[in-house]
Amino acid sequence: MKKFLIWMRVLLSTALACLVVFAYSPAVFAFCGFYVSQADASLFNKASQVVIARDGKRTVLTMANDYQGDVKDFALVVPVPVLLKKEQVRIGEQKIIDRLDSFSAPRLVEYFDSDPCARYEAYDRVTLGATRSSAAPATEAKTRGGNYQVTIEAKFAVGEYDILILSAKDSDGLESWLIDNDYKIPQGAKEILQPYIRQNMKFFVAKVNIAELNKTGSQSLRPLMMAYESPKFMLPIRLGMLNANGDQDLLVYILSPKGQAEVANYRTIKVPSGDDIPVYVKNEFGDFYKSMFKTSYEKEGRKVAFLEYAWDMSSCDPCSAEPLSQEELRKAGVFWIGAPDINTSSGGRIRRPIPFPSNDGRVFVTRLHIRYNRDKFPEDLTFKETSNQESFQGRYVLRHAFKGETSCDAGKEYQRSLRPRFEKEAKTLARLTGWNIADIRRKMNIASLPTPVEKPFWENIWK
Amino acid sequence: MQSLKFPLAMPRSLSKFFAFSTSLFKDARDYQIIFLSVFFLLGVCTRDWSLKPIAIAITFATCWLTQICMVSIFPSASPQKHERWLSLKSATITALGLSLLLRSDSYSAIAVASFLAIASKFIFRTNSKHWFNPANFGIVVVLLLDSFVGNSHAWVSNGQWGEDSLYALVFLGLGGIVLKKVGRWDTSFMFLASYAILEGLRNLWLGWTWDVLAHRLTSGSLLLFALFMITDPRSIPNAKAARLIWALAIAVLAFIFRNVFFNADAMFYALFLISPLTVLCDRIWNAPRFQWLPKRYSALPSN
Repeated sequence: MKKFLIWMRVLLSTALACLVVFAYSPAVFAFCGFYVSQADASLFNKASQVVIARDGKRTVLTMANDYQGDVKDFALVVPVPVLLKKEQVRIGEQKIIDRLDSFSAPRLVEYFDSDPCARYEAYDRVTLGATRSSAAPATEAKTRGGNYQVTIEAKFAVGEYDILILSAKDSDGLESWLIDNDYKIPQGAKEILQPYIRQNMKFFVAKVNIAELNKTGSQSLRPLMMAYESPKFMLPIRLGMLNANGDQDLLVYILSPKGQAEVANYRTIKVPSGDDIPVYVKNEFGDFYKSMFKTSYEKEGRKVAFLEYAWDMSSCDPCSAEPLSQEELRKAGVFWIGAPDINTSSGGRIRRPIPFPSNDGRVFVTRLHIRYNRDKFPEDLTFKETSNQESFQGRYVLRHAFKGETSCDAGKEYQRSLRPRFEKEAKTLARLTGWNIADIRRKMNIASLPTPVEKPFWENIWK
Repeated sequence: MQSLKFPLAMPRSLSKFFAFSTSLFKDARDYQIIFLSVFFLLGVCTRDWSLKPIAIAITFATCWLTQICMVSIFPSASPQKHERWLSLKSATITALGLSLLLRSDSYSAIAVASFLAIASKFIFRTNSKHWFNPANFGIVVVLLLDSFVGNSHAWVSNGQWGEDSLYALVFLGLGGIVLKKVGRWDTSFMFLASYAILEGLRNLWLGWTWDVLAHRLTSGSLLLFALFMITDPRSIPNAKAARLIWALAIAVLAFIFRNVFFNADAMFYALFLISPLTVLCDRIWNAPRFQWLPKRYSALPSN
């Protein structure tokens, strides 16, 4: 009991501390590291996407952020496990992350009921899942020496980014260095920087070179990629929580030659999948998915990671997007597959195997959706690759009722079966999303359907 | 239970039943089986596990079969027939442990792990003490095969039990009863305490907030390991002092594996490496060996 009280006190004080941090931080940052504003820009950066291609200790990490503020105001600070050289950092393509996103996104599947009076012939069609559009941004800063016990280990430019790799002896020095170099860092950063310094991690600081950015002709920032070798298979999320405004969403795509990946220090569970839901959801799939995710997230106590997709990249069924070609996979950081094939892309939709050079060229993609906050995710995320080959997808089924004339007996039977079926779909939808069932029924127009009349069982016997 | 006074007019059949039940719970393994089953059911009902009924069936069947075969191949000195059958309880505990911890998408990997677990008891033994905890041996060998030889399709889902403090309490409570029954609670206590201190020092040095430590220590997998795996009386030292040192060594090694080599399955490897030292410990420190059943129920130990 006493222990419990102490714990409660710890929790309460942490919660209070967070409140204080939130209340005084003008800017909103997120991600593994934090974005550092150099002006009082209002930032909003709540969903990040990270691609991790990993085989053994070798890792290629791609970070993309959907920051929509003014790019010149930003800088990014991310703890990295090793010192990075210029050759280890490059610019990624947002297009590739979007491709990964649409390939692995939760999807709607449509089925059309056949004419109940005719022979059964069903076909299905795949509707694209809710895809996210992502954009990114960044900054400008002066670099100065000084007695901060901060070492600039490397300084180079990659694309529109000016990058510094810093190592520090203590967090005071690092904090002062960042402040003196016009980085506006969130309050409480010092305490969080400390553990990373002690773990001998380095700091990857990126800002934007506007002139270079203009050359690219793009307003948004391109993803940053880094390749390194480290036994640490983790993502630092604590820094990003510092000035976060509530929950943050992180999509992690883990590409592995081995199999599914999972979070090692939090529970990983599958998103609800495979349910039949009302057809009207087709027009509001985004809302549906958001509500459903939120409902599951609340139900699981807001402390689990969700598996949204797990599949061998060589096939998909149904495909919500064409599987990534070898060239695209290489661009996503998959270093263990051979040089790009000349005959890539285009072709059939479903189960289109990609000829990989050998078994070693396998790529298994895991999409984890983690909604985290300071309260329930105190520890940085660590991942684990397993040899689990099980495929999984977030998939929701729409069954369109047959609209034509149904005058035969089977047709009448079919008509009577519709109402209970729709009712069931409405209940499923209400359960998944927490939406009001009366609204759902109204939208589905259930009332217009014939009420199934309970016929006495003997009526059909002596016909 | 012995102090229970039955009514004088109790039917004979009922008194037999009571006699049976008292003898049933004399064996600490019964408690272990019951509590592990409770956790197992709890996990199946409340956690989204990718448990496959066939995999569980294979685990149990392989464990039991191997046990029966091994008992026949390596007959113990005990001529008593019931002893043989009682040893199936140990196999059941191993099977439960494997089902709780090991995950696989290949049935052959599960069968191999189960076979190795039980076989290890008969192959690696000195003075009828096992060098390895059977379930731990099975798990570690298939994990090693998985990472070094090729995909044997087996892994441990460390996060599967979550970090619920409620679970922690249930674990501690129920585990405590079993350990008290087995009389080896000191091992778990020593392991948990030293591991907690090491993690606590690390936390302090790094400067993390204390909820990071709490999150690390309330991991269900850690508690399951501490309360049910390192307490197997047949594979831990007999003398108390030896047990304490032994548990400390496991905690230190697990801590190093986890925080220096970043291995998520640290504790399993730590136990695997330290476990054979039991034989050495028993040679240095003399103490009476653990008996599953009190003297009057069993003349000689079972497997």
